[in-house]
Amino acid sequence: MSDIILRMEGITKQFGSNVANNSVNFDVYKGEVHTLLGENGAGKSTLMKVLYGIHQPDEGKIYVDGAEVTINSPREAVNYGIGMVHQHFMLASNLTALENIVLGMPTSRPPFLELNEAKVELGKIAAEYDLHVDLTIPVWQLPVGAQQRVEILKVLFRKANILILDEPTAVLTPPEVEQLYKVIDQLKAQGKSVIFISHKLNEVKKVSDRITVLRHGQVTGTISSKEANPNNLAKMMVGRAISLARKQPAVTDASSDKVLEIKDVTCLGDKGVTALNNISLEVRRGEILGVAGVDGNGQRELAECIAGIRPVTEGSISINGQTVTGVVKDPRIMGYIPEDRRRTGLVLDFSIAENLVLKTISEPQYKKFGYFINWGTVYKHARQAIKEFDIRTSGPEAPARHLSGGNQQRVVLSRELEKKPAFILASQATRGLDVGAIENVQDLLREQRNQGAAILYISTELTEVMSISDRIIVMSKGEIMGEVTPDPSNLPQIGEMMMGLRTSEQEGRANNEQLES
Amino acid sequence: MNSWSLKGALQKAKDIIVGPIIAIALALLLAGILIYFSGYEPLAAYGALFKGSVGNINSLAVTGVRMTPLLLGGLAVAMSFSCGVSNIGIEGQLYLGAVGATIVGLMPLPVPQWLHLLLVLAAGFVFGALWATVPGYLYAYKGVNEVVLTLMLNYVAIYLVSYLTNTVYGPLGEKGASYSQSPELVSTARLPILLKGSSLHVGLLVGIVLAIALYIFMNHTSSGFRLRMVGFNPHAAEYAGIPMERTRMQIMLLSGGLAGIAGASEVAGLFHRLYANFSPGYGFDAIAVSLLAGNNPLAVILSSAFYGALRAGATRMQQVIGIEVSIVFIIQAFTILFVTAGTVLSHRPSVIKKLFRFSKKSPAEGRG
Ligand SMILES: Nc1ncnc2c1ncn2[C@@H]1O[C@H](COP(=O)(O)OP(=O)(O)O)[C@@H](O)[C@H]1O
Ligand SMILES: [Mg+2]
Repeated sequence: MSDIILRMEGITKQFGSNVANNSVNFDVYKGEVHTLLGENGAGKSTLMKVLYGIHQPDEGKIYVDGAEVTINSPREAVNYGIGMVHQHFMLASNLTALENIVLGMPTSRPPFLELNEAKVELGKIAAEYDLHVDLTIPVWQLPVGAQQRVEILKVLFRKANILILDEPTAVLTPPEVEQLYKVIDQLKAQGKSVIFISHKLNEVKKVSDRITVLRHGQVTGTISSKEANPNNLAKMMVGRAISLARKQPAVTDASSDKVLEIKDVTCLGDKGVTALNNISLEVRRGEILGVAGVDGNGQRELAECIAGIRPVTEGSISINGQTVTGVVKDPRIMGYIPEDRRRTGLVLDFSIAENLVLKTISEPQYKKFGYFINWGTVYKHARQAIKEFDIRTSGPEAPARHLSGGNQQRVVLSRELEKKPAFILASQATRGLDVGAIENVQDLLREQRNQGAAILYISTELTEVMSISDRIIVMSKGEIMGEVTPDPSNLPQIGEMMMGLRTSEQEGRANNEQLES
Repeated sequence: MNSWSLKGALQKAKDIIVGPIIAIALALLLAGILIYFSGYEPLAAYGALFKGSVGNINSLAVTGVRMTPLLLGGLAVAMSFSCGVSNIGIEGQLYLGAVGATIVGLMPLPVPQWLHLLLVLAAGFVFGALWATVPGYLYAYKGVNEVVLTLMLNYVAIYLVSYLTNTVYGPLGEKGASYSQSPELVSTARLPILLKGSSLHVGLLVGIVLAIALYIFMNHTSSGFRLRMVGFNPHAAEYAGIPMERTRMQIMLLSGGLAGIAGASEVAGLFHRLYANFSPGYGFDAIAVSLLAGNNPLAVILSSAFYGALRAGATRMQQVIGIEVSIVFIIQAFTILFVTAGTVLSHRPSVIKKLFRFSKKSPAEGRG
């Protein structure tokens, strides 16, 4: 494990005036897992795209097995034994896994693919690396974790020795992450090198041999996994110490006004089956109610019902005593931070300035001559928001599409919190964000809470729910399993509720289920 | 104006115009090769095309006449496409608009000419919008695919006009005429001529004014802002509380209405009566016009002028050089091909960069 099989030297890559990589040095040993850690926008993907021949470096050299190479295209990268699994998968969704893997490979009888030979070969690879997946069904029917295994198989099938995994855990559930780690161990055992990209500092120590941290396109250091701990990694990553520990407690008590009241709500999911079953909850002024649970247990539907997008079949939802019948348009009453900011929170082709006034464009301060938009005040408003929320951008006229995830979320937050809403619905508000940005989002929400807002904080990240909530409810299969305080000693109980056991009946139910099964 | 907006506007203008110009140049180049291999002199052909379209004041007038329905129809397309609604029914709505204009234009109203003309154009708008009502409703409220709906109704509209103008039993038909047509409009219902001795009529000005108005509406009013939001991201629009069904219906009606004005302008400005099959497919060419313009109303003025000029010049090209008029449609098809290819490529900058690198390396001169 001493031979360097890959070395990148002094890599600089600029996009316009934006320096994505600045004299980056990076090397990989044979049989090593080398993690590239950094916040969103730090330049991790860019460095790897340079290596994979998608981008050409402005400066710098790449050595594979000691020889200097220029990599002009992914095809050439593959010839050098480099394979990449992208952050956003690049599979053709209605082809089968097998077809996806074989697509683009040379074949002896064009235009047909050599599917049968490939299947045998892939069977061997799958067994060797524990990468089991049904190759014969269309890719869209596979769970995300399996799609990722298809991507990895595809890379191995092309005989890669260096595997680049760009943020592979971002889309996975905890058990799928465990499975991925096993695969990575297996790859390592077989002498392959893995470049593992991540922005989550908690996960990288376990899986890596060495860790290189990038910040603003520059390497802030390379350390061995033994020396690494969340504190020194966080410092290298964001330049300062951070903590997601609990901060100020709530200022609320049982006598505070109820802001959100949900009574016996039932609704249907996308496929027409019951997604929420008789849910009741309330959130008071000045408190954060956390909703924990494994993804897909009705959280999205709950958020959509409150947001007025999904019809409620039974029961009622009210905010400030007003029954919700459609989208709550008044930004003073409700702020909504949706789980998919790119799809529902922003208009990506609109400028930042336009995105900031999506809901308030009709207000008098943005009008002139009665009917026309006063772009002057719209832009002025945007410049203020950019300053106040520290949105990193070239200016208010930049399209939201060009922002990094954290900055996109800041735009959404800035818009939704601007009017100090009485109720805030945060639905997976930190999904896909790095630690620094998560901390930022949580601080902003706490600040609103301290000023009296009622907040419903839905997240599948249990640590986040624990760190921000004043009370926690746990959802499973569209029902509320119970309520607990965010005390670490309650974690086992929360875990059981996430698996579908109710607080009151946990013991009895557990026994029954054992008997039944 | 602030400096940001001026700079932004210039940048925007550049972004909108550069692509189409390259596309047009490539199309002319390719068509030139075709002309060459058909045994004609490309430069002479284009010379004739140029003379026949912008060579003198009369040919300019012809260009203006040809461009008018393309401009108005192009606005109808831009209206719907930029809001994410695919109204392919411009042709039918244009025919219906012509019917509305004819009905009002045949009435000897005791009103001043400007008012009568306004009523004629308004009738065009209303009839065009009415023709879009049924597909609009089914699309907006019932989720039926709008492309199929609007497309099919085009043919219904064309046959409807043939029936209406039938010289024997058509309610609007001129009895005893040799071609399916209505009687002539009353004199107060005819759009004034802009240039003496030509057919260039006020419809062109109407188109230009509407283009500017539509641009301002879309970019400088909150209603337009919401429509663009629906066009760019309907999900975000829904989350922002925009009533999607009603908005989509409005978009369809506005688009149909603009198409109706295109028909009204042809009837009241050029023919002064309703003919069966009077449109040689303006409603379809309008789609090309709007695509070339990137669905920007102001750019639609330029792109309709370009296509109008092609049509105007084609006649002279045929007379002088002997090339079939259809070469013009080939040029039109090529430009759309290249514009579309350009749009696709601009979403994949790496491809463009590769082409660029290739052309820098190769000793051959770069194009365009
Ligand atoms: N194709 C591109 N064009 C312009 N800017 C880009 C492009 N790709 C990345 N960037 C910019 O480069 C920086 C680094 O991005 P990236 O490498 O994707 O970061 P990471 O993967 O660490 O989150 C960001 O500021 C991003 O906006
Ligand atoms: Mg990345």
